[in-house]
Amino acid sequence: MSALVIFGLLAVLMLTGMPISISLGLTVLTFLFTMTQVPLESVALKLFTGIEKFEIMAIPFFILAGNFLTHGGVAKRMINFATSMVGHWHGGLGLAGVLACALFAAVSGSSPACVVAIGSILLPAMVKAGFPKKFGAGVITTSGALGILIPPSICMVMYSVATNTSVGALFMAGVMPGLALAATLFGVTWYRARKFNYPRMQKATWGERWKAFRASVWGLLLIVVVMGGIYTGIFTPTEAAAMSAVYAFICAVFIYRDLGLKDVPKVLLNSANMSAMLLYIITNAVLFSFIMTNESIPQALADWMLGHGLGQIAFLLAVNVILLLAGNFMEPSSIVLIFAPILFPVAVKLGIDPIHFGILMTVNMEVGMCHPPVGLNLYVASGITKMGITELTVAVWPWLLSMLCFLVVVTYWPGLSLWLPKTLGLM
Amino acid sequence: MKVLDKLEEWIITLLIGAATLITFFAVVHRYTSGYAIPGVQDWLLAMDVSWAQELTIIMFVWMAKFGAAYGVRTGIHVGVDVLINRLSDTNRFRFIVFGLLAGATFTGIVASMGGHFVWENGAHHAFYKLFGLALDDVMEGPTTPDLELPTWIVYSAIPLGSSLMCFRFLQVCFSFVRTGELPHHDHGHVDGLDEEPGDVEVNEFDLDDNLHPLDLKHNVIGEDRRGHDQPVAVDRRKDDLGGEPK
Repeated sequence: MSALVIFGLLAVLMLTGMPISISLGLTVLTFLFTMTQVPLESVALKLFTGIEKFEIMAIPFFILAGNFLTHGGVAKRMINFATSMVGHWHGGLGLAGVLACALFAAVSGSSPACVVAIGSILLPAMVKAGFPKKFGAGVITTSGALGILIPPSICMVMYSVATNTSVGALFMAGVMPGLALAATLFGVTWYRARKFNYPRMQKATWGERWKAFRASVWGLLLIVVVMGGIYTGIFTPTEAAAMSAVYAFICAVFIYRDLGLKDVPKVLLNSANMSAMLLYIITNAVLFSFIMTNESIPQALADWMLGHGLGQIAFLLAVNVILLLAGNFMEPSSIVLIFAPILFPVAVKLGIDPIHFGILMTVNMEVGMCHPPVGLNLYVASGITKMGITELTVAVWPWLLSMLCFLVVVTYWPGLSLWLPKTLGLM
Repeated sequence: MKVLDKLEEWIITLLIGAATLITFFAVVHRYTSGYAIPGVQDWLLAMDVSWAQELTIIMFVWMAKFGAAYGVRTGIHVGVDVLINRLSDTNRFRFIVFGLLAGATFTGIVASMGGHFVWENGAHHAFYKLFGLALDDVMEGPTTPDLELPTWIVYSAIPLGSSLMCFRFLQVCFSFVRTGELPHHDHGHVDGLDEEPGDVEVNEFDLDDNLHPLDLKHNVIGEDRRGHDQPVAVDRRKDDLGGEPK
């Protein structure tokens, strides 16, 4: 009963268009004032202690690092490197786009940032080289989604915050599915480019490749810093995020010099603005899940599912449908923060691995970012290409379809995500 | 007002910058103090950085509270606007005002609750002591574990940040009622960062993306509200012919 009231209220408040964080908070307050005896002071305290975890601080650090990388010329050099490697194949620049997105995803934790960083440079170049606009937009919009699957990933940090799973293990678990998805998108791009006979670049010599690699090596080293640092235990994920922020700053300002010192406060302010928005959602989502646990709603849901004999397969199917639907209305961080605390206990009761479940949610979020009405990647791509949303939706479908197939694979083949963290002994 | 705006921006810029540097130095310190560099090692070992983590957290919480207020002013907070962006102008106007007032109500309640909490948690004692008032059975508040700061100072981020946020909601609401405009960044670019030619700057949480309500200046609902759809109409027709290359 109380579950219905809570969710009904939340849904109504959200649909009025007020910020998600505010609707979460107001739901909690209304519920507290009218239906329970939880002391209000503890709520005020929770507003502070809700984000008083060192793990959460990885989010602002990764956002900061991502902003420095986007503005600091790292993306440009990665694109050059990728083009020199695969540019001579069918649909060269498109393939380079997938590769560059995968590389950039390995240093940045957000997928719209990936679309901005790679798309704003590569898309105009593709149009100039004679690719149809919608081919380029389709490639970049979907490849950009790799940003949250290939570690580091803000989405995974959110999941670990909501469910107390290890960020390190989640990051490692994202590597294989990330590479697999990159390969899938690569394949689709290549196939379509060959079918329609899109232009190819001239084959780069090994000397040119070496030069492009040398130029991009500072950005690529960041992958080693973050992943190596977390894996060997030199840094905690949060410290790795802070290191990468400082590293990206040095890279952008002193090595590549694409960013002047005078621009730094602006980047800091923008990152702070976005992090504060996310942290504010987290604060209120923590309150919300506190209420949920207090009313033991997840347990009730789990018992109901077990009572009706719903097994893993049916549950995972239901989860995918729910998350894909939610992807129509909300952006990923809010979805993870609201749904993970509810679905996670059920998943654990059904014997689904927490890490695998996290990867599944992340891939769902990726799909959600590439289709309307709410799909950040689409809107970012539309901002770059000046194409309408309907047109873009048509443009991305071949890749989106392959992503959906990939989602099914990830859902029902836990080994794909769990193999690496298990081999590395992280779980 | 201008002073408050600038102050807010400076506080959050400094907090995120300083927190990054502190964490960075704490890590560097942890590893360099292991090497036997004469002179430097002793100096490093003598330095205690166990407070770094706690300070980082406190700085980020403060940044989050004031940044959230700044976010109201810049219109960055995401919501579910699929429905209201399809409504008529008058109805959308009502919903937006309702949303903004709800935001002000929530932050107002939180501010007063937080204020009460902080007062009970040591501020009462501290202020009475400061002004030399009678302290009969007023408890001194607890302190944080590493920095030993009184917790009421740390927690005062809640009442201060929330009050500011409440004020911002009212401010935005007031200007919306008066002018029909909601705060939006320039979608195209963020100035000062677009030195590369052809580099389009898009703030990912800042588009006409159904995550933010449209204000009354964006009149046409749906696809065509992006004014720049028109110029590419010619190209589009060409591309739609089965995606043939030129």
